[in-house]
Amino acid sequence: MAKIRGCDIPEDLYYFLEKHSWAKPLGNGRVRVGVTVVATKMAGNLSAVTPRSKRIGKELERGKSIGTMESSKYVGPIPSPVKGVLVAVNEALKDNPNLLVNDPYGEGWVAEMDVPDWETQKDELLTGQAALDAYEAFMEKEGFSCEG
Amino acid sequence: MADEDKILIIMTSGKDTPRRCATPFFFASLAAAMDYEVTMFFTIDGTTLLEKGVAETVYPREGGENVAKYMNDCIEADIPFYCCTASMELHGLTKEDLIDHVELVGGATMWELADDAGKVLTF
Repeated sequence: MAKIRGCDIPEDLYYFLEKHSWAKPLGNGRVRVGVTVVATKMAGNLSAVTPRSKRIGKELERGKSIGTMESSKYVGPIPSPVKGVLVAVNEALKDNPNLLVNDPYGEGWVAEMDVPDWETQKDELLTGQAALDAYEAFMEKEGFSCEG
Repeated sequence: MADEDKILIIMTSGKDTPRRCATPFFFASLAAAMDYEVTMFFTIDGTTLLEKGVAETVYPREGGENVAKYMNDCIEADIPFYCCTASMELHGLTKEDLIDHVELVGGATMWELADDAGKVLTF
């Protein structure tokens, strides 16, 4: 896994960089989504993560909220990197919100969506070296780092 | 006609009750993060928090964040702040005394906002 300024950024995921969320195709139009380590670093230690389970079965536009993150001094949305139908949420986050912090690309996934036109939508997202370059530029501009 | 995605938060608590002044803004930011369309309406003592420089001095928890921080989260989330003009008179405040984000409205606007909202919370 690539590291940019100490932040883990797996090259094989697809990123909605502006919103710090990622997408991972699981096959058959199913896409798993979550947040990047950059988002969790901004929020700090989390007191709650609440996937929007009431929206299961509903279509969500790209950028709309699939859940929320809360810490004692922060509250923010988890924006979907893709447009699709919400089909599942990671219920484990309710009991253990810091899965999002400790394993954002693994056990801390947020939701799964049905995205029939993934092959088209993926072109809107950044992946591979392009994603790493974009994150490097973003962190440079914001003075952001996961080190220390 | 009520829209289930619209939420109205009526803020009546002010600078004299700091512990009541963080959560309403936190809940408002949270609702915005959930894509609800949130509006805050300030009346009675809530109006005191809109005076320039006041929210910076109100601490819900000793050693914690001030109310201005919570209010700024709402402003950044584009949550409109409406202020009841009658409550300004109650506190001897003028338009110039208030922060820029505030829009002044009469009490009837509260009823229109409440009518439009799917949910109304009062603090």
